[in-house]
Amino acid sequence: MALKRLKFTKDNCIGCQLCAQACSAVHEGEFSPSKARLSIESYYTSDGELKYKESYCILCGMCKRQCPFGAISMDDKLALNLDLCTGCGVCAEVCPKKVIKIRDEKAVLCDTCDGDPSCVKICPHNALKYE
Amino acid sequence: MFGYQNKVLRIDLTRKGTIMEPLNMAWAEKYIGGKGLAIKYLYEELKPGIDPLSPENKLLLMTGPLTGTPVPCSGKLAVAAKSPATGTILDCSIGGHIALKVKYAGYDAVIFEGKLSKPGYVLIQNDKIEFKDASELWGKGSHEVEGILVEKYGHEASVLSIGPAGENLVTMSCINSDYYRQAGRGGIGAVMGSKNVKAIVVIGTGGVKVDKIVDVTNRLTEILRTDTVSEDNMFIYDCGTTAFLEACNDGGILPKNNFSDTTDEDWTKYNGDVLLASKVGKRGCGSCGLGCGNFLKIGDAVCEGPEYESIAVAGPNAGISDPESIVKANQVADDMGLDTISAGDTIIYAMEMTEKGIHDFGIRFGDKEKYIEYLKLMAKREGVGADLALGVRALAAKYGGEDFAMHVKGLEYPQYEPRGSWGMSLAYAVSDRGACHMRAYAPNEEVFAASIPPYTAEGKGEMVYNLAIYNAVKFSMVICDFWPLSLERMTEIMTMITGKDWTEAEMNAVAERVINIARAFNQREGFNRKDDTMPKRLANEALKSGAAAGQKIPQEAFEDMLDQYYAVLGWSKEGMVPDTILCQL
Repeated sequence: MALKRLKFTKDNCIGCQLCAQACSAVHEGEFSPSKARLSIESYYTSDGELKYKESYCILCGMCKRQCPFGAISMDDKLALNLDLCTGCGVCAEVCPKKVIKIRDEKAVLCDTCDGDPSCVKICPHNALKYE
Repeated sequence: MFGYQNKVLRIDLTRKGTIMEPLNMAWAEKYIGGKGLAIKYLYEELKPGIDPLSPENKLLLMTGPLTGTPVPCSGKLAVAAKSPATGTILDCSIGGHIALKVKYAGYDAVIFEGKLSKPGYVLIQNDKIEFKDASELWGKGSHEVEGILVEKYGHEASVLSIGPAGENLVTMSCINSDYYRQAGRGGIGAVMGSKNVKAIVVIGTGGVKVDKIVDVTNRLTEILRTDTVSEDNMFIYDCGTTAFLEACNDGGILPKNNFSDTTDEDWTKYNGDVLLASKVGKRGCGSCGLGCGNFLKIGDAVCEGPEYESIAVAGPNAGISDPESIVKANQVADDMGLDTISAGDTIIYAMEMTEKGIHDFGIRFGDKEKYIEYLKLMAKREGVGADLALGVRALAAKYGGEDFAMHVKGLEYPQYEPRGSWGMSLAYAVSDRGACHMRAYAPNEEVFAASIPPYTAEGKGEMVYNLAIYNAVKFSMVICDFWPLSLERMTEIMTMITGKDWTEAEMNAVAERVINIARAFNQREGFNRKDDTMPKRLANEALKSGAAAGQKIPQEAFEDMLDQYYAVLGWSKEGMVPDTILCQL
């Protein structure tokens, strides 16, 4: 079976950031987009353009391959072995989508909510899909 | 109660000092947040009779317990002060992402007091507050200023800014955020300008906590899916408020040529189908779900919207049917920092004055280039703009045309013609900030749903009361107008987020309190029945065209509606809130 991944369609995005609120609620116990494990924003520019800035895990596996301590595994989702993670930050550096952050000396990564991502469930116009 | 940050940031602009203080939770229990709590703070803190453009006025940014949570459509911020346009209380509601940033920065409210000694902007980065020089920004359009500040502080920053109109203390100036969102009415931008504050930049990286957060998130997801993004509400996503054009035109309440008639046969030239064909993107506010914003480009004109109000005033009410001109007028008004409604109404009043030969303002119905040029002149108070910046009430006092001066208490009329929806004349008259369509939206009952006969005074006091009660609690929770959620749903959400059991009766009690305290504020400023007026045109001239042809509102019918409304609220015949109610506020 093909690996399911988060997919983003900007034409359906209204920039509401409900995705990031749901993510931080489930993982951090507070509504706080800046602590979320994805970030999807849209914004206007002064020359009259609407732009999107998105950062979400595409399960590329770069973090797993580059982790010096073998702390990250990936089968149908990413998982972190907290005992092995030293918070060295290599994963965050190599993450092409800049999703991974280091907080309290541990990597913080998207686990796709164990196959039922909260961000996808709340996305009002299905800009985010998991397929 | 959960949902609150229990913190108010008080900024003394005169001394460049700040104080963090606890939110007054006793007040929060009585007024929730947003509109209601902002008015309560101002009622307690502003001395009666102050000049709204003096340092004694305060500019309040008020969130609510739902702000920053995934409660659908909860991303709006109440911005309040004493109005320089009317002298009444003034609360506006602005979208975008600024409300969430204020809350994530750790505050339920930010209160600006005093005045900066020279133009500046205030940078709020969580608990770090800085006062910055704005001499390079002063004089610039709102859009350019936002661009400069976001470039400097990054996209995580949200900006409130004023244009030249606010700087020049034009009493129809607005505050902008996210380029195309406004706290629009009553001259709120002039209050900011009077404090020498060109912009407020907020970066908030904290969060909001509630009890049982995963259950709450799951339930809110369910509500969003079934009750917000529902088939009935999808027109907001698909069309925004352009959808109202057809409904208003068909219902005989789309005004034409400064409210001299209704119903425009050219309306298909600038309707939703035409405008949305130029849509290049969609955007909503933080925590939205519906996403009303349509980002358009037509020729040289760019804007998000345009909203029904802005289309109607710069379109049929100005005798204009060119969509590019309508969008451009919206863009220019936003950038100049002018309220599209009040500025537009002033221009169309000037058009009628010129047409009738009462006073030559050099502009006539259909002059689309001048409409846009005049907006710029008004913001800068240059040439004929120096006069027009005074607004309809002052111009009528100066030059005449009182019969068609469309305002209440000095706030210009929104674009719903009351002769086709009689209850709207009452709603405009008793609204707490002058003629406003957001306090009780009568066309919903009288025209769109056709559940109450439109051309009668009967039952209108109670109808407007019910509509006003609904909006008062909704805007105090700070939920956007566009989600027509039930009182039951509001009560469920309040209970879920605050962790305190709310009942529908308690919610209604909050609503009535909010209406009473707003009235009490105005009463203290000397307002009473004599100020709850209807423009003479509505009583004297019958509509000639459309579904409401032949209709006018007899003065007796209007007075009857006022009597009814006051009676429902337990106010005196003079529209005064009695001491028995005042002492409970």
